[in-house]
Amino acid sequence: MAQLFFVMIFGGGIIWCAVVASLIYASRKKHVHSEESAGRVILWGGAILPTIILCALLSYGMWLMPAIRPWVPADQPISRIEVTGEQFWWRVRYLDEAGATLFETANEVRIPVGEPAHFSLKATDVLHSFWVPSLGGKMDMIPGRTNGLTLTAEREGIYNGVCAEFCGESHALMAFRVKAVAPDAFEAWLSARSVKTRSIEPDQAKGLAVFLKNGCGACHTISGTAANGRIGPDLTAFGERATLAAGTLPHTAKDIARFVADPGKIKPGVKMPHFRMLPEDEIKKIAEFLKELR
Amino acid sequence: MTIRWKHLIVLAVLAPLLGLAVGWSGLMSVRASTGHWAITDWFLHWVMRNSVSVRAVATGDVPPLGDPALVPGAAGHFETGCAVCHGSPAQPRPDSVLAMLPPPPDLKTVVPEWSDAELFEIVKHGVRFTGMPAWPVQSRDDEVWSMVAFLRKLPDMDAQAYIKASGLHGIGHAGEVSPLPITCESCHAEAKLSDDSYIPRLAGQSEAYLLNALKAYADKQRPSGIMQVAVGTLPSEGLPELAAYYANQNLGDRADTAHDPALVEKGRLLAEQGRAADKVPACLSCHDKQDGNPAYPKLTGQNSAYLRQQLALFHAGTRGGSSFAHLMTNAAKELKPEDIDALAAYFSQR
Repeated sequence: MAQLFFVMIFGGGIIWCAVVASLIYASRKKHVHSEESAGRVILWGGAILPTIILCALLSYGMWLMPAIRPWVPADQPISRIEVTGEQFWWRVRYLDEAGATLFETANEVRIPVGEPAHFSLKATDVLHSFWVPSLGGKMDMIPGRTNGLTLTAEREGIYNGVCAEFCGESHALMAFRVKAVAPDAFEAWLSARSVKTRSIEPDQAKGLAVFLKNGCGACHTISGTAANGRIGPDLTAFGERATLAAGTLPHTAKDIARFVADPGKIKPGVKMPHFRMLPEDEIKKIAEFLKELR
Repeated sequence: MTIRWKHLIVLAVLAPLLGLAVGWSGLMSVRASTGHWAITDWFLHWVMRNSVSVRAVATGDVPPLGDPALVPGAAGHFETGCAVCHGSPAQPRPDSVLAMLPPPPDLKTVVPEWSDAELFEIVKHGVRFTGMPAWPVQSRDDEVWSMVAFLRKLPDMDAQAYIKASGLHGIGHAGEVSPLPITCESCHAEAKLSDDSYIPRLAGQSEAYLLNALKAYADKQRPSGIMQVAVGTLPSEGLPELAAYYANQNLGDRADTAHDPALVEKGRLLAEQGRAADKVPACLSCHDKQDGNPAYPKLTGQNSAYLRQQLALFHAGTRGGSSFAHLMTNAAKELKPEDIDALAAYFSQR
C-alpha cells in the first residue's frame, strides 16, 4: 500500500509541476501565439496529457486492488466470520467452509495474524457499518443483504472497531475489538470454542441456577447449559471478553451487575429489559457467575 | 334614551356580578327534596341524551357481544359496583336510592333505549351531575364492552339467572345475619369456569405471583376496573392469606377442550423455542419450569380465553402488573394475533 502512495505522489507531482510551469509561462505577456497554436496547447496540455496520466494511475490502482481488498465470491467455500449488526451490539458467528455455524460470540472478533480473514456482514434491524480503521475501510451492513470484506492484520494485537453508520440512540456505544493472535493460537481457540459440552463447576452451579431461574436463558445462550436463547448476545465465553456492552463498560463484576440492573441507563434504547426488581444478591450472583464464564 | 356602547359595557360588567350575588345570597335551592322544575328536568335530560349520542359516534366498531363468557365477570362487578344504586333482578332499588336526584333509572326499562355504542359511552365515562361514576380505569375498553354485553342480557334475567351469573351468595332476610354477598369465589370458583372464561383459574397458581397481582390491583399498577374495585375492599394485610389460600389448592384436571391440533402444535413450538428472528423469547424459559422464579405465573391449564386476553393486553402495552410485568410487555411486543391464539390453545391444554 505504501507503494501505491508513492506512485500517486510521483504522478501527482508531475501534474502539479506542469500546471505551475504553464501558469508562470502564461503570466509573462511577451509571448504571442496564434489562435491555432493556443488551441493545440489546450488540447494536448488540457485534455490529452491529463487523460493519459490519470488513466495510467487508475489502471495501476485497479491492478493493485485485489491485493488490498481481496474479493472472494460468496459461494466460494472458505471459512468465514459472519458479523451481524444489531441495535447496539455485534453478533459474531464463526462459520466452517460449508457455511455452517461453528459457534457464536459477540462484540469481540479473533483473527489469525498474517492471514486474510473473510467477513460476511449483515444487519437485522437498521443500517450499521463495520469499521476497523487500522485494518481497512468501512463496509455497510444492510438488512436483507450480505456484504463481504477481507481484512488482514500484519501484527499481533488489539484493533478497535466501531459502528460507522448512525443506527439509533446508542450508536456511539457500539464498539468492538478485533484481536489478532498467532495462527496456531487462533486454531487452538477455534477448536476449544467449537466444543458444545460444558462441565459446570460446583461454585458456578449456584450462579447458573439464579441465571436460569430468572429466565435470562430466554434471550442468552451459554453453550452446554439450558440457556439457549438467541435474541441477545451469546454469553458462552463471556468472561474472556475485555469489555462489556459492546465496548461501553470495563468488564468487572460490579459493572456487569450495574448493566443487568439497569441496561437502559447505560445504553439508551437497548432491547434488554431492566432487572432492578431482583434482589441485589441475585444480581450480584449473576454478575459474578458471568464474569468467570470461560 | 338611545343605547350607547357605554351602557352595554356597564351591563356586561354588572350581569356576572349580579349572578355571583345571587349565588352568594343563598337564595338558590340545591334541595333534592323539592325536585327539579319540569323544564329543568327536561333540559338536563335533553342535554345528556344529545351528548351521549354524539360522542357514541366516535366509539368505533362494536366488538361481538354475543360471547356468554363476557357475562359472569361483568355480572359480578355489577353486583359489587352498580346494583347498590340501580338494583338488580335479585333486589329492587331501595327507597334511599330512589330519593336521589335524579333517581338512578331501572335498567330493565332504559337499557333497550340505548345503542351498544351509547351504553359503552355511558358506562366508560359516567354522567356528570347525576352520581353515575366513570369506569374506574380508562384503558380497559374490553371490560366496558363486557359490561355492555351483560346489560343487554339484563332485561331478560330473572333473579335466579342473575344470582347464577353474578355469583351472589344470597340475600339476607329479616332476622338473620346477611352472608357476605360477593367474594372471590363468586367469580373465580372452579365450577363456574371453563376454557372460554376471561376469569382466570387461581387454584395452584404461584403464591408469589398471586400476591404480586393482588398488590398490583390495589396499587393501581394493573389496570382493571373490575379487579380494582374487588381488591379495593380488602384490607392489605389480608392479601397474603388470600394468595396462599388459592396457591395451596390443587388445580384439578379438566376435560380437554378441543383445540385445533395444528394450532396447539404451533403454540408448542413457539413456547419451547420462541422465534429469535422476531425477538420473541421462548415462554418456557421463564414459565412453568422447575426452580423458576415464583414471580412468573404458571400458565399450564389456564383458560385459553383469559390467556388470549392477557397476551393481547401485554402486546398493546396496557397490561401493567407487578415490577416484573415489563419483561412480559417486552416479550409480547412482536407477537402476531395468530401467535396469541396458538399460545393460548397450547397452554390451556398442556
